[in-house]
Formats: sequence, C-alpha cells, structure tokens
Amino acid sequence: MIVQFESIFFRQAHSRSLNSFFAAVYTSHKRPLTTMANSVEGVKGLLIDISGVLKNGDIVIDGSVEAIKKLRQANFPFRLVTNETLKPRKTILETLAMMSYDFTANELFSPVPCCVDVLKKENLRPHLLVHPRMVPEFDGVDTKDPNCVVVADAYDHFTFENLNNCFRKLLDMDKPILISLGIGKYYMDDDGLALDVGGFTKCLEYATGVAPRIIGKPSSEYFMMAASDMKLNPNEVMMVGDDVLHDVGGAQAAGMKGALVRTGKYKKSDENHPTVKPDIVVDNLAQVVGYLLNP
Amino acid sequence: MSRSRNIQAVLIDLSGTLHVENQATPGAVEALQRLRATDLKLKFVTNTTKESRRFLFDRLRQLGFKIDLDEIFTSLSAACDLIKREKLKPMLIVDDAALEDFGDVSRFEGKPDSVVVGLAPEKFNRPCLNEALRLLLDGARLIAIHEGRYYKTSSGLSLGPGPFVKLLEYAAGVKATVIGKPNAEFFQAALKSLAILDPHSAVMIGDDVRDDVGGAQQLNMAGYLVRTGKYRVGDELKIEPKPFKIVDNFASAVDNLIDSL
Repeated sequence: MIVQFESIFFRQAHSRSLNSFFAAVYTSHKRPLTTMANSVEGVKGLLIDISGVLKNGDIVIDGSVEAIKKLRQANFPFRLVTNETLKPRKTILETLAMMSYDFTANELFSPVPCCVDVLKKENLRPHLLVHPRMVPEFDGVDTKDPNCVVVADAYDHFTFENLNNCFRKLLDMDKPILISLGIGKYYMDDDGLALDVGGFTKCLEYATGVAPRIIGKPSSEYFMMAASDMKLNPNEVMMVGDDVLHDVGGAQAAGMKGALVRTGKYKKSDENHPTVKPDIVVDNLAQVVGYLLNP
Repeated sequence: MSRSRNIQAVLIDLSGTLHVENQATPGAVEALQRLRATDLKLKFVTNTTKESRRFLFDRLRQLGFKIDLDEIFTSLSAACDLIKREKLKPMLIVDDAALEDFGDVSRFEGKPDSVVVGLAPEKFNRPCLNEALRLLLDGARLIAIHEGRYYKTSSGLSLGPGPFVKLLEYAAGVKATVIGKPNAEFFQAALKSLAILDPHSAVMIGDDVRDDVGGAQQLNMAGYLVRTGKYRVGDELKIEPKPFKIVDNFASAVDNLIDSL
C-alpha cells in the first residue's frame, strides 16, 4: 500500500513518455507587461491546480508558497482545484503543510466532497467503486438500493468483479446514472504509467450505453461549482494550471479565463495547442499572482 | 432500388442462433438439413475468443447438427491467422483455454509488439491492463478478437471483451484492429473461403442485431435477425438500415430463405 500512497504525486499526467513528462521549465520570449496585465483584467478569484503548480512530486515549486501568502494578505479569493480521489482531503492538506503551505479544508476543492454534495442534493444513492480508504468520505450518504454508480480511481480495486458489479447495477436501474470523478487517461505511478479512472468509466459507458456525468476537471459543472463556492461568476475567475487541455481548456469552456504555467508537465508545444489558446502563459504561479495584485 | 438478390451463400451464427447453451433452438437441426438440400454454400461464423473450433464442433455434433469442422469460422482462429501472417509478438489477454490455439505465437523473445484482447475476466484487472497500456503507449498495436459488449452467463449478463478494448483505446489514444463480427474483413474472409466474391449474393443469420445483422448489411449482405439468444424487444430499431428480415428463429429464417429462392 506504500506504493499507491506515493503515486498520487504524479497523478493527472497525460504525457506520452517520461522525458516529456518531466519537461524542463521553458522561458519564452516575454510579451510586453501591459498585454499581460490586460489579460488578467476583471479577475476576482483564482482556481489553482496543485500538482505542477504548487509542487512537483514532493518538491515545492519556486515562489508558490510566497504567492499563496500574498493572495491571502490581499484577501484575494482562491481555491485549490484537484482531481485527486486516492487521498482524503485531510491527507492532501497534511502533505502540503509539510511544504510550508497553510491551506484550510474549505480552500481545497476536490471531486469526492463535491460528489457527496451532489448526491445529497439530488437524492442519489450510489453504488461506489472507489478506493476503500475513501469510503469513509462518503459517510452520511445513503447507499441502500442504489440508483447511481460512482467511479473514482480505485487503484488495485479495479477488478473484473468490481467492474461487472457496476455494470449489473447500471443494467438494473430504471434510469441509470454513471458518475465519474475525473476522466483522466493515465498518470505516472511509482512503477511506470498507470491507468487513471477515465478508461474504466469508458469501459462501463460502452457496455451500458450510459454517458457519464463527470465531476472533476475538465467538466464545466466542476469548475462552476468551484466558482460559486467563492461566490463569483465564471467570467470573474481564472484557472491556473499546467495541463493545457484539462485545466486551461476546461476552465475556458466553463466561461473562465485560463492561465498556463511553464512548470510541472508543461511542454513548449502546449503554447501552440491545436484547440486551446491560454488567456495568458506565465513562468509560474508567482508571476500571475504578481500581475493580479500589482496591475 | 436495390437489385434483386441471387443468393448463393449463407453465413450462420452459432450461439443464440443455432443453439442456446446446450439446447438447439426450435427446429434448428431439421432446418439445417433442409438448407443442406439446396445448392447454397454454408459457413458458420462465430465471435468466440475462448473455445477452439474443435470444441464448438463437438458441441454442435452432440446437439444433433450435421456439420464439418472446416465449416466453422471463428474470430479466435482469424486472430491466430493474422498474428502468424504478420509475424507479431503478442501480449495475449485471452483465456488460458485459448492459449492452446495460439500455440507457438505466445513464445517469443523480447518485448511484445501487439496486445491481443479476448474474453479473459481473470486478466481484466489493473496490473494486467497497465502492462497493456504501457506497451500501447510505446507503439504496440491493439487487436480485439471481437468487441462484444456483454454476454449471457448462468449468473446473469457479464462484461464482454469490448468494454476492455474501449478502456485501452481511450487511455492510450489508439484504435483497435477488430477481428470478429461486425468487422467487414471477417465476413469477407468467410465468404472468400466459400469462393463468393459478391457479398450481395450472401445472407447472414444471427441473434446480434449489431454484430451479425448490422455488420453483414454494411457489406451489402442481407441480414436475418432471429428472436432467440440475446435478442431483446426493440433490437431491430438499433441499426440503420433495418434488418432485411426479422424472424422467430433459425428454422423460420431457413423456410423464408428457401421460399425466396
């Protein structure tokens, strides 16, 4: 179990090889400062990705701790937005605290608590395919006579038997609902690249014909929930992330601005992505916070 | 207007059409005899990923069907042929019973250059699928023996190989080569073995509206959907164009076919 505990530092990776995964920080020719400041105009709140923006594995990214302090001193609203479903919220916060970050639980936005809210609000009773250590996070949710299936990264609990149970539960439902906490393809695990939840959700989708509802990046619903948690409209919010498609593209699809950082799994080619054009590309979190607080 | 058909060959599905588990469908044994009395060429085409041709042959003989081993055409044997023809070094995600059929191809030196997926519940787990993912990301080819969504077991419906092929396709960003029905090449290979060049002169009889009927009709064959096996009310609405004929069972299909000759 030690293996899977460590693995989450590298989650959300979609790169095709180790080399590109550990992409070096690239410093590009900088645009004039005025243009940069203009692209953050009207932004009243930030959504911040954890892995690749605050830290790489267990190493802090330069300037990010100070940047968070400055946001806090300026009373500038922000939320951490992650797709982490293998670690309880408490554990994520403890890991960040070891790196001198001082986040509170309500500043951390992750799929499981979000999903619990949705389940309660919509009277949904889930059949869970999640890692056993995450089951206590669903305390207080009615799981008798399930009327939906919730799938998260279940790690080695992704067995044929568990998947087949989900399949049969969905077949038995009058109006089957499949909820997927994230839809990532794969990530870097300790012993190499490993399947994320997305493939397993696609497995159930193909078998049952039920399109999944996604709670997690890049679903608009998820970004909107994080914005309304700060009591802001989507057009007042900017997402800062190292994943051009899921962080930047996902936020933009929800009507927000998207900032791409040149840290984490960033690759130079991300700046010329075929479908996503970031509102701003910055060297790191500290730089974009600087633009926001000193316009 | 479609041109009139000069039917010369009939492709027949096995499980769900000629028999359901260990019982022939009503009148199927006699119907096959009537069909043999015509000049029509016959081939039995099946999406198996586990049972060898010999196993299927023995079961059909026990149920009273008159059949030759050579008349059975399976996705498993077609996959073996492909691997041998293209000299692939496959990672085999197949049932242990099927490993026998693959014989020598499962023994090679070095890293696999392909991933072959059949029905293998005991291998559909994260460690094994991760191994496949890594090979696919390094450029290995994904081969699906077939893409069936689910199948009937004594304990209820169970996930087929298709959902796990889709899992790997999505995660690795690749497209599988599909061997069995409804793949056009599979039907074409079966027809070729009967020396039939024009699919328009062939009929497919089966209980799977997508894989049997839909697949055959994509090739311009005529598809007969039988209401046995996995057939569910409303299945005929799932494909376009609609099935050429919808009949109660294999015996009705044969009667209808003979009448139209």
